[in-house]
Order: sequence, then structure tokens, then C-alpha cells
Amino acid sequence: MFWPLTGILIGMIVGLVFPFSFPIAYARYIAVAILAGLDSVFGGIRSNFERNFDPVIFISGFFSNAVFAAVLTYIGDRLGVEIYYAAVFAFGVRIFQNLAAMRRHLVEQIRDHGKKRRAAQ
Amino acid sequence: MGRQGQIWITIICIILGIILSAQLRTQAGIRQDIPTKRIEEMASLLNEAESERDKLRLQLYRLQAETDEIMNKEKSIAAGIQIDLQQARMAAGFTEVQGPGLLITLSDSTRVAQTGQDPNLFLIHDEDLLKLTNELKASGAEAIALNGHRLVASTEIRCAGPTISVNNTRISPPYVVEAIGDPAGLESALKMRGGIVETMQFWGIQVTMEKKDQLQLPAYVGSHTFKFAQPVDKEAK
Repeated sequence: MFWPLTGILIGMIVGLVFPFSFPIAYARYIAVAILAGLDSVFGGIRSNFERNFDPVIFISGFFSNAVFAAVLTYIGDRLGVEIYYAAVFAFGVRIFQNLAAMRRHLVEQIRDHGKKRRAAQ
Repeated sequence: MGRQGQIWITIICIILGIILSAQLRTQAGIRQDIPTKRIEEMASLLNEAESERDKLRLQLYRLQAETDEIMNKEKSIAAGIQIDLQQARMAAGFTEVQGPGLLITLSDSTRVAQTGQDPNLFLIHDEDLLKLTNELKASGAEAIALNGHRLVASTEIRCAGPTISVNNTRISPPYVVEAIGDPAGLESALKMRGGIVETMQFWGIQVTMEKKDQLQLPAYVGSHTFKFAQPVDKEAK
């Protein structure tokens, strides 16, 4: 939990030091891509808890989800269909599911720890 | 937790953080919330620059008066008038001019308006061209032509149904704006954040800018007669 947070902080500091921004026209697409990226990161942390983390799946998922989310939003804009909302909904739901799963794992870990201690006494 | 997993997740998080802060900056740019301190700072800088400009302008007037005096003394009056006439004709846009500048091409948006959106927002209007030429003038353009029509003091840029009327001639997209002036200065004035080009691009209007070493602008071809205006005789006052 500690390292990913530090990573985001380092990234934001780097981003602040190098003052680049995106054209306003692309702001919507980048926002969806960030949401997809967040979803991938939470998914990665969860699978790390469950000890079935695979770096290839994680990294390919991060980039392809971000790119596809942005591209689908763009296509939706062209077609006049708000696919944007579908992406926000899908990734939003998954982020909350992953958060819930992570919380359960954490609680279980703390409980196991307590049991072992009592057993040792 | 797996050690390998933590390392990969941290690396991806760094990338995500960089994109995140860039996006935050973009959003802040949209909201335009410049801190008040920065505004005050810039206002004082502006005041300084303006007072310096006024001083330089006074100097310019003095030097102009001096040159006028010298010219009158040195050259014959006729030659002076000839030069004045040439300069006046150039300033009025009655002569062809050439020089470095910026070539701007504008085309209507290809984006399809979504339900509830006003399709008018995706078209180029007379106002857009007015704002664009105004911005060019403000940033020091010395001569401007719109689809080959030279802009002069009496030029109108006016909505005329699906077309735009310039010098009483109707023009239609794509609009080609040629401006003679400092190419880099003109371009950066148009590309300013929240400026005219960004606003137009937001609606999908296609704007291309090309810095040119050599542009040739036609002369104003219409006639210029004064029916109502009379010159004021200074000596008679």
C-alpha cells in the first residue's frame, strides 16, 4: 500500500517539475485514460494480495486499457454516442470492487496475525 | 505481498502520477484560476512596460519631428511630398506589399454536432475572423489579406448568409488569412492559452498556421471616395 502511493507522489512531483500539459481538446480522453490506469493499478495491488500477480498481464493491461478507453471515447464522440459514460461506469465499478477486495484481504491478514499471537501465548 | 509485484506497481504508479499532474494542470488551465498574487505581479509588470512605452513614444514623436525638419531642409519639398505619398499609400493598403509573415488557413469543423449542441458552434463566423484579424493587428501585423482581399480601414468583415462579406465581396471557407509581420510573434499571439486559436480548435475548427519568409499581399482594389467627410484645416483654426 505504501509503495504505490509513493510512486504516484514521485510521478506528480516529476510532472510538476516538467511543466507540460495536454491540449484542452484532448482533456476528456486523457481523463478516461487516467481512470483506466487507476483501475489497472488497483487490480494489480489486489492480485498482489492474492499472490497471483503477473507483470506482463499488469503492464499490458495498464497501457491497453488506457489507450482503448481513450480511443473508444474518441470514436463515441465522432458517432455522437456517449461511450465516455460507459467507460466511467465500468472502470468506476471495478475500482470500488477492487478496493472492497483489498479491504477484505487486509482485515483477514490482521485477524490471522492476532490468532497466531493468541495461539503462541 | 509479492516483492516483484510491488516494484512493477510502483513504476506504473510513477507514470500514472506524471499523467495525473499534467491533466490537473490542463484542467486548471480550463478553469483559468490564476492566483491573485500572480495577477498583481503581472499588473505591476504591465504598468512598468506601459510607462516605458509612453516614454519611448514621446521620444519617437520628438525624433519624428526632427527628421521631418531635416527632410524639409535637405530635400526639395516635392521629393518630401513624394515620400509622404508613398508611405501614406502603403499605410492605406493601396500598394502591393511583401515581406515575412504568417499564413493561416481555417476550415469548418468536421465534427458532427451531438444532440442538444448548437451546430453553429462548429462553423466559422464573421466574429471569429474579426477576432483573429484583431489579434493579428494587436500583435503588430503590418498588412493583412483575407482570401486575397486586402484589409484596409474601411474593410468590413460581416456575416452574409452562408458566406462572409469582405470589401463588398463574398468569400467562403476555407479562409486563408495572410499577415505580414514578425512570424514568430504573430504565431505566439494566436497560440496564446485561452486565445483565439485554442477556442476555435475546442469546437473542432481546423486551424493551420505556417510561418513564411516571403508573402505577397495584393493592393486594395476598391475605390475610396469621401462623400461626407471633410479634412479639418489646422491653419484656419
